[in-house]
Amino acid sequence: MADVSPSKSLIKGVIKLTLFLGVGFAVLFILNRVLSAPTEDGYRFFPVIGSRVWVWIIAQLHLNFAAFVLGVPIFAVSMEFMSWRRNDERLDRIAYDFTKLFTLAYTLTAAVGTILLISLPVLYPKFIDHLMKILGPTWWVYVLVMYVETLVCYYYFYSWRQMKGSKKGTHVAIGGLLNIMGITMLLITSSWVGYMTTPNPHGVSETGELINRWQAIKSYMWIPLSLHRLFANVVFGAGIAAAYAAYRFITAETDEQRAYYDWMGYTSAMISIGFSLILPGIGYLLGVEIYSFNEQMGIQLMGGFFAWLWVMQAILIGAILMFVNYYLWISLNKMPGGERYFKYVKYLFIVNLLGYAVWLTPHSIALSLEEARRMGAYHPVLGSLGVMASKNTAVVVSYMATFLSFTIFKISNKEPIVSWAKLGHTIRAAVIVLSTAAAIAIGIYSYMVTSAVRVKVLSPIQFGIFFLSIIILFVLDTMMYKGAIVIGEPRWGKMPERSQYALIGITVTFTWLMAMMGYMRSGGRQFWHVYGIVKDTSPDAYLPTHGYAAVVSSIVTVIFFALIGLLFWSIMKLEKVADKGGAQT
Amino acid sequence: MKGGVLKLLIVVVGLNIFFAYIGLYFLPQSESRPPKETKIEKGISQDDLIAVGEQIVFSKGQCMVCHPVKTEVGMRAPAISTIGFEMEKSAKERNMKFESYVFEALVNPSAYIQKGFENMMPPIHKPPTSLNDGELIAVAAYLQSRGAKVSVSYPESVPVLKEQIDIEAKKGGK
Repeated sequence: MADVSPSKSLIKGVIKLTLFLGVGFAVLFILNRVLSAPTEDGYRFFPVIGSRVWVWIIAQLHLNFAAFVLGVPIFAVSMEFMSWRRNDERLDRIAYDFTKLFTLAYTLTAAVGTILLISLPVLYPKFIDHLMKILGPTWWVYVLVMYVETLVCYYYFYSWRQMKGSKKGTHVAIGGLLNIMGITMLLITSSWVGYMTTPNPHGVSETGELINRWQAIKSYMWIPLSLHRLFANVVFGAGIAAAYAAYRFITAETDEQRAYYDWMGYTSAMISIGFSLILPGIGYLLGVEIYSFNEQMGIQLMGGFFAWLWVMQAILIGAILMFVNYYLWISLNKMPGGERYFKYVKYLFIVNLLGYAVWLTPHSIALSLEEARRMGAYHPVLGSLGVMASKNTAVVVSYMATFLSFTIFKISNKEPIVSWAKLGHTIRAAVIVLSTAAAIAIGIYSYMVTSAVRVKVLSPIQFGIFFLSIIILFVLDTMMYKGAIVIGEPRWGKMPERSQYALIGITVTFTWLMAMMGYMRSGGRQFWHVYGIVKDTSPDAYLPTHGYAAVVSSIVTVIFFALIGLLFWSIMKLEKVADKGGAQT
Repeated sequence: MKGGVLKLLIVVVGLNIFFAYIGLYFLPQSESRPPKETKIEKGISQDDLIAVGEQIVFSKGQCMVCHPVKTEVGMRAPAISTIGFEMEKSAKERNMKFESYVFEALVNPSAYIQKGFENMMPPIHKPPTSLNDGELIAVAAYLQSRGAKVSVSYPESVPVLKEQIDIEAKKGGK
C-alpha cells in the first residue's frame, strides 16, 4: 500500500482528482444538453424519489466523508507530533493507521462529491446560478485548495516511511499544512451554507443583488458553523476510527492484533468523546448567531416545528453517553485493580439514567401549535421537566457522570504515593458534590428568571462550572497520580466482544445524529433556498414529517456504513496482498 | 470472526431501524407547508377581517412562536389576549393614533419596544413573513380586538399602513 513513491503518489493524486472533476463537468455538459429544459422557475425533477431526497442523500453522504477526511488529520498529525517528541513507536503506528484510513477515504469522498457536483446544477439550475453570482469566486478557490490538499495528503501518507528519523519534523510540518488546507476548505463550504441560512444584508440586497462579496461570505453563522463543524469533524472522525478499530478487533486473528486494536479503539473513542464536550458550547454560539440574525428562525429551530427533534437529539446523545459509560465500565475488567471501583458503577448508572430521562422529556405532548393552543397548558409534572432549565441541568450532570466513569478507568490501576493523597480524594469528592449541587441549584433558579437571563447568563454559568470542575479534577489527578504505584499495566485485548459493539453503537448513533442535525439546520430555511432572498418554489418546498426525515437519515447512515465497511475491507485486503509481497503496509 | 461481523452488521442496521422507528411512531407527524397568500375583499366586514387576522396570527404570521396567548412568567413577547388594550395604552402615552401605532408595531417594530421586552421582532411585511397589505390590516384588526375597539378597515386603512412602511424604508431596517 505504501510502496508507491511520494513523487508518483503526487501524480496519482492529480490524475485522480482531475479525472473526477473532468467526468463531473463532462456529465454535467451532456446532461444539460440531453435533458429537457428546466421548468420556468428553474427546476428539473429526479425520477422516483424526487430531487430533494436525492440531493439530501448525496449531500449528507459527501458531508460525512468530508467530515471524516478533514477531522482525522487533526488528531493523526497531533499523534505523529507526540510520537516524534516522545520517540514513541506505538503512537507513530496509530498515527499512520489513522492516516491510511483518511487517505484511502479521499477517493470515496471525491466520488460522492462528483455526484453532488453534477446533481445540483442539473436539478436546481436557477438556484445554483444565483449562488455562483454571489459566491462564484469562492468555488474556484475551493477547487484550487482541493488540488493542493489532495497533493499534500498523498505526499504526507506515501512519504511516511521515507521521512522517518531526521526528517520526521518536516513530515509533521507537512501534516500541519494538510490541516491548514482542510480548515480552509471547511471555511469555504461553511460560507456557502452560512449564506443560504443567514445571509448578511450588507452582502446581498433583498432582491438578491450582490452588494459586497466579502460581506456575503461573512454571514452570521459562518464562523460559529465552521467551528462547530471543525470540532464535530474530529468527534466524527475519531468515532469512525473507533469503529474501524472495533471491526479489526472483531476480525483479529492474533492476541497482538487484538491488543493493538483494543488500544486504538479506546484512544479513538476517548478523542471522540473528549472533543464532543466542546460541542454544546460552540452549538450555543451558533444558536446566538442564528437568533441575532433572525429571532424567529432561532425560535422555530429551538421550539417551533423542530422542537420534537431536540427530544430526538436528547435520545441520541443520551444513547451515546450510555454506550460510552458501558464501554468504560467493561474496560475496568482489563485494569489490574479495576475491581475496586466496581461499586461506583451502579451509582453512575442511576445518575446517567435519571439525567437521560429528564433530558428526553418533552415540554408538551401536543403535536402542533394548533393543538398546543387548544390544550392551553402543559403537563403539570412533565411540562416542568421538559424545559431548558431542567434539560441543561440533566446534560451537565450526565456529562459529569461520564467524566467520572473515565476518571475511575484512568486511575483504577494506580495507587497514589503523594503524602496528601487522602486530602486529594476529599477535594475530588468535594468538587464533584459542589459542582453538581451548583448545577442543580442554577437549574432550579432558571425557572424563576426571564428567558434572556436564562439563556445569556445562567446557561453559560452552568456549563462554565462543569468545564471548570473537569479542569480542576484533571489537574488534581495529574498531580496526585504523578509517580504513582502502577498495580499492573492494562491488559489490552482482554475485552469481551460486546464492548466493541458499544464502540460501533457510538459511531452509528453519532452519524445518525449528524444526519438529523444537518436536516434541521437546512430545514431552518423553511421555504427558502436562501432565507428571505431566493424562495423555493419547487414541489418539495415544505418540511416533511419527522418520521420521513428519520427514515431518510437511516437510509443515509446505512449507505454510509456500507461504504465505510467496503473501505475497511479494502484496507484489510490490501494489507494481506502487501504482506504476501513483503511490502510495508 | 464471521459471526462477529454478522453481529456488527446487525448492530448497524438494527440501530438505524430503531431510530427510524422512533421517528415514525414516537414523534408527531405533521408537515410544514408554505403559507398561502390571503386575498382580502374590499369592504370586508369587521368581524370577517378579525377572523382572517386571527387565522394569520396563528399560522402564516408565526406570531405564536414568540407571543403567548395568556400572560406567562418569563414570556418573550407580549401576550395576545390583552395586546389590544396594552397597545391602545401605549399609543396614548406616545401621543399616537391607535391605528398608526398598531401598524408601526407590525412593520417597524424596533421603533418602540414595550418595557420589559427585547428588540427581537422582525418587520412582517418583509421576507420571510412577507404579509401583504390586506393581511397586515387583518392582523391589526385582530390585535385591536384583543381588549380595545377595532378602528382599522380594508382598504380604508391602506394609506396609514403605507405611511408606516415608508418610515421603516427610510430608516433602512433589516
